[in-house]
Amino acid sequence: MTTQDQVNPPPPEGESSISLPGIYVSLTDLPLDILSIMDKVRSPEAGAIVTFAGTTRNNFASKPVTSLTYTSYRPLALQTLSSIASSLLTKHALKGIAIVHRLGTVPIGEESILIAAAWLAGEEALEECKEKVEVWKREEFEDGGVWRANRDGHQGAEVKEGSKGE
Amino acid sequence: MERGSFLLPLPQPSSPLDFGNFTILYFATATSFTGKNVESLPAPLSLRKLGDVLEERYKGIREGVLGHSLVTINLAYVDVPEEGEDDVIIQEGDEVAIIPPVSSG
Repeated sequence: MTTQDQVNPPPPEGESSISLPGIYVSLTDLPLDILSIMDKVRSPEAGAIVTFAGTTRNNFASKPVTSLTYTSYRPLALQTLSSIASSLLTKHALKGIAIVHRLGTVPIGEESILIAAAWLAGEEALEECKEKVEVWKREEFEDGGVWRANRDGHQGAEVKEGSKGE
Repeated sequence: MERGSFLLPLPQPSSPLDFGNFTILYFATATSFTGKNVESLPAPLSLRKLGDVLEERYKGIREGVLGHSLVTINLAYVDVPEEGEDDVIIQEGDEVAIIPPVSSG
């Protein structure tokens, strides 16, 4: 019998990924970057990007964890990630979804998984924030400033100085 | 196997045919138990017999690992047939993997 016994851990393999319309999944040995995963799903039509970052914990059931390492069956893991992404894309009418998992040793407290989704309903949440949250925008111009208000269905309507009691 | 050869990537289904053998990949607890990530075993082999072959090589693996693991052949999950069910034959060049319970995230 031929032996191809491989006792040593497999070497770092960099990044492997699958890109499909609206879907990006990847496994990487490098630290994760939230901005680059957001860029994978950025869509001018969506109005919001929702992100989730899973980080490694320093304990398991209060037993201290000193170090954490992920290994993977890369081709199958990518296939499974891609099928999860695909069903989420359909289920939630997403414009795009990206899932990136880090492999190898991940220092405690760093991100091991990032998920980003371009979300149509995010726009609804943004609308409600714009309507209700106590934050005000003031735009400064060369010849003076203007407070903006979102009301009566108008975004960014100018609030005239001296229109108190309106 | 020479020590330096671990730099080779893991064999994938597209790797050159290993005549008369199939490749078996071990992950997580299966790696710990066997002390290996990958090896070649003689093909063809009945999937139902895989457990016996592994148990013979790694005493206790059936109870310690296989009992709670899944099996893939060429990246597709397969059910290990029970007595009386149609068997699956692992062919030369196939890539089999032992998949213990996963823990991503």
